[in-house]
Amino acid sequence: MRFPFWRSKRQKQLEQEIESHLQMAKRDRLDHGESEQQAARSARREFGNVALVEHVTRDQWGWVWIEELMQDLRYAARMMRRNLGVTLVAVVTLVSGIGANTAIFSLVDGVLLRPLPFRDANRLVAMNADYPKGAFVVMRDQSRTMDVIAIRDGSAFNLTGRDLPVRLTGAEVSASFFKIMGAQAAMGRTFQDGDDQPGKDDLVILSHSLWEHRFGSDPNVLGRTLLLEGVSRTVVGVMPTDFRFLSPKTELWVPLDLDPRQIGDYWGSSYMPILARLRPGITIDQAQGDLAELRPKILAAFAWRMPDNSYIKSRVIPLQEAIVGDVRTNLLVLLGAVGLLLLIACANVANLLLARATTRQKEMALRAALGASRWRIVRQLISESVLLSVCGGALGLVTAKYGLSILKSVLPADMPRLADVSVDTRVLVFTGLLSVLTGILFGLAPAVGASKVDLTKSLKTGDRSGTSGNTALSRLLVVGEVAVSVVLVIGAGLLVKSLWNLSNANPGFHAEYIVTARVTPNQSFCEMAGRCQTFYNDLLAGVRSLPEVKEAAGVNGLPLGGGFEVIPSDVEGFAIPAGAHVPMMMERVVTADYVRVMGIPLLKGRDLTEADTAPNAERVVLISKSTAERYWPGKDPIGQHLKPRWLDPWWTVVGVVGDVREDSMTRNLEEWLDGEIYTPYGPHAIAGRGPEGPPADLTLVVRTGRAPSQFAGDLQSVVSRLNGDVPVTQIETLHGWIADAISGPRSTASLFAVFAALALALGAIGVYGVISYSVAQRTREIGIRIAMGARREEVLYLIVGQGARLALVGVAAGLLGALALTQLMSSLLYGVGAADPATYIGVALLLVVVAIAASYVPARRAMRVDPVVALRYE
Amino acid sequence: MANRYQNRIELLQGTLDLLILQTLRWGPQHGYGLSQAIRLNSGDILQVDTGSLYPALHRLERQKWIAADWKLSENKQRVRVYRLTAAGKKRLLSERSRWAQLSDAIAGVLEPAKKESEA
Repeated sequence: MRFPFWRSKRQKQLEQEIESHLQMAKRDRLDHGESEQQAARSARREFGNVALVEHVTRDQWGWVWIEELMQDLRYAARMMRRNLGVTLVAVVTLVSGIGANTAIFSLVDGVLLRPLPFRDANRLVAMNADYPKGAFVVMRDQSRTMDVIAIRDGSAFNLTGRDLPVRLTGAEVSASFFKIMGAQAAMGRTFQDGDDQPGKDDLVILSHSLWEHRFGSDPNVLGRTLLLEGVSRTVVGVMPTDFRFLSPKTELWVPLDLDPRQIGDYWGSSYMPILARLRPGITIDQAQGDLAELRPKILAAFAWRMPDNSYIKSRVIPLQEAIVGDVRTNLLVLLGAVGLLLLIACANVANLLLARATTRQKEMALRAALGASRWRIVRQLISESVLLSVCGGALGLVTAKYGLSILKSVLPADMPRLADVSVDTRVLVFTGLLSVLTGILFGLAPAVGASKVDLTKSLKTGDRSGTSGNTALSRLLVVGEVAVSVVLVIGAGLLVKSLWNLSNANPGFHAEYIVTARVTPNQSFCEMAGRCQTFYNDLLAGVRSLPEVKEAAGVNGLPLGGGFEVIPSDVEGFAIPAGAHVPMMMERVVTADYVRVMGIPLLKGRDLTEADTAPNAERVVLISKSTAERYWPGKDPIGQHLKPRWLDPWWTVVGVVGDVREDSMTRNLEEWLDGEIYTPYGPHAIAGRGPEGPPADLTLVVRTGRAPSQFAGDLQSVVSRLNGDVPVTQIETLHGWIADAISGPRSTASLFAVFAALALALGAIGVYGVISYSVAQRTREIGIRIAMGARREEVLYLIVGQGARLALVGVAAGLLGALALTQLMSSLLYGVGAADPATYIGVALLLVVVAIAASYVPARRAMRVDPVVALRYE
Repeated sequence: MANRYQNRIELLQGTLDLLILQTLRWGPQHGYGLSQAIRLNSGDILQVDTGSLYPALHRLERQKWIAADWKLSENKQRVRVYRLTAAGKKRLLSERSRWAQLSDAIAGVLEPAKKESEA
């Protein structure tokens, strides 16, 4: 061991001190008449081993606590080995608690806490509303506080001209996107200013994984030309592996097409998220002020008059907040749940240790008698519990690592940032702290209980009944455990109930026997008039002739979150009220039979027909029921008119259909949308890019008795026969699509249910433990009762009653707690109140039954007590 | 000498602290002096092991119950002399009352222990 230099000085002083001791001893001996040599020798002998004395003295110099800690830990390890059963139960309990917390914390950390992987990520912001391209250009050119980016993610690109046509996912970004995000290309370059000007924008940047997998990491890929959506684009760069934005699914980036001449696209149908980087020294509030000043300029620039208070609620928010969105509540609720689970685990282990502490009371008394301070005893016991919890933590970490991969597969794949989640240093630190805190938390109660040993009493009588304090404490812990379990089980009950409601909610259409498939020709394929229409007519005819196919239709996006077009509309005779924005209509472009195939009820008027798709046909639409009620309340909507703001001829409403859950199982439309229209798949449909014209990308809905896997091959061959360059993807049942749509709530509910089940099990073990212990303690009393003539059933009732009373108190406390805490998750609930009486009563009964069952086992034991043995017990 | 060795009692840790503090009440003393004083005052029964004495002294010093100074002995030798601090005096009082409690307790244990063995 090396000492710091001041220690070597102290070391010299110690040597001097010992030398003086030896000298004085020698002098005394000389005075008693011993010879010089003899005196020196016996003084040294009497002193003992000088080196050893120095060593043990040095230990007092300040690193004592380490020494004592090691001593405590060694002792703790020995105690753990000796009580292997208790240790195992405690460690398993802790592993479940700590493991669950570590896994969920990894998620929270990866998704909510860790900064985005960009330079100065905290300077990146987003607008909380989408803007059209034209508005972006105003912001980009006129903002004084922000460098503004527009990005449309998740656009699909067909890569053709190679062997098989493939569907790639890409993002359209404004030219300064990479520069503002602070991202460098791994190879080649990123986009430069001006790369998004029409005519100069035929460029593409590849993601690392696309380059690796699709281009075999070809070092000569730069400068090559790719045919994407029928447009040839030159590869100018490859991004590094760790650049995934906005999502890991993004495989390529192309410049945003900014052509003011395409009025519909530029101002109408291409609403997209706007991001920005705050300029140096600018606060988010200043940016907010800037955005407010830009608002009238943006509105003035629109190709048509916008209501004066459009975008009045637009705010600048941190990018991270914008990306994470409503996943936040889900994760925090789960984190809360595992936190509660850990509390229960702690209470359980504390109880276990309390029970053991009772049997160790004599040991503690002895230690106190030997001069151990109370603090020293507390520390000793805390070291034991911390060692226990650190073991739990280490194993918990392993559990969490596996748990995390399970979590990742359970959670919806589109959860933002899920790919970034991993067990890393931060999580290690978290688990370490958590373990130590846990150890202190559950070690404290037994330690304080044990250190309050009344020396005289314990040593004198070996009395075991001096533990009433501990018993009260352990009952309190069990009551707490039951209460927390009640909260968790109620939470799980509410979530499962709302999941049930969600799965059984009426989405507005019938999913039975419907197989869906996405067919995606290039958008340029549709530019020639009528070509796409002919293609789809032929395709649907081909599909209908397949075996076991009853009906087939096409739509530009499925309900429950499929893609759609938005049309800022004029509604005839409708004055936009003050404070409202221009009516935003969601447009479903459908082939004639869509409404019928999907089983969407036609409430009024007529369905769309083939005749409506002709180029010279009158422009007609169907509207949804709530659209009719909103714009023509109390009037007959048939024959009324509406139109896109930037086009002239009116569209006539010919039919009203039932509302459909277009956005999710909980709401029909996103909040900013005002209504829904169905337009026939023909030249007058709005495809997003052209002023008018059908979208290229349609999803087929096919009513058939066959499974998607059997159907896929046939469908692919029909498509290939018509056009070899058209990919077919996402062949699945509509039921599968619905299941995906509620995968978020389902994963939250199932995780919560697992935690609640664990809580319930731990709670039951807790009740069992305390009642068993109390039976063991009361053996003598029970023996007396039986000897005095108590019937065995009475003993059974006595013990079970004890458990039931504990449970009732816990349940009462838990119900109150649940009333308060479930409010926090009310935004996750659907069709069930946070104070749902049925759930509360059911859970209360469940917990009481479980508690009675848990106390029944020790009660049986009590019933069989032999009074003769029992009276000898102490 | 062998006899004396047999009569020796292993000192309990807390007890040695008490003895040191008590001995220092009569005035500052160096390590060797302390061990001699304890031995003499206990009628040669309590032999303080240097391996316990010096760690105890250094620990008590760290706890600020005693303080140490270097002084010259009558033989012109540098010796380290310990004295009781104010905190040490307080500590001594509480140690003494604890000791009284402990010896009562032990006396108590020795007495009813017989009864228990009959049960």
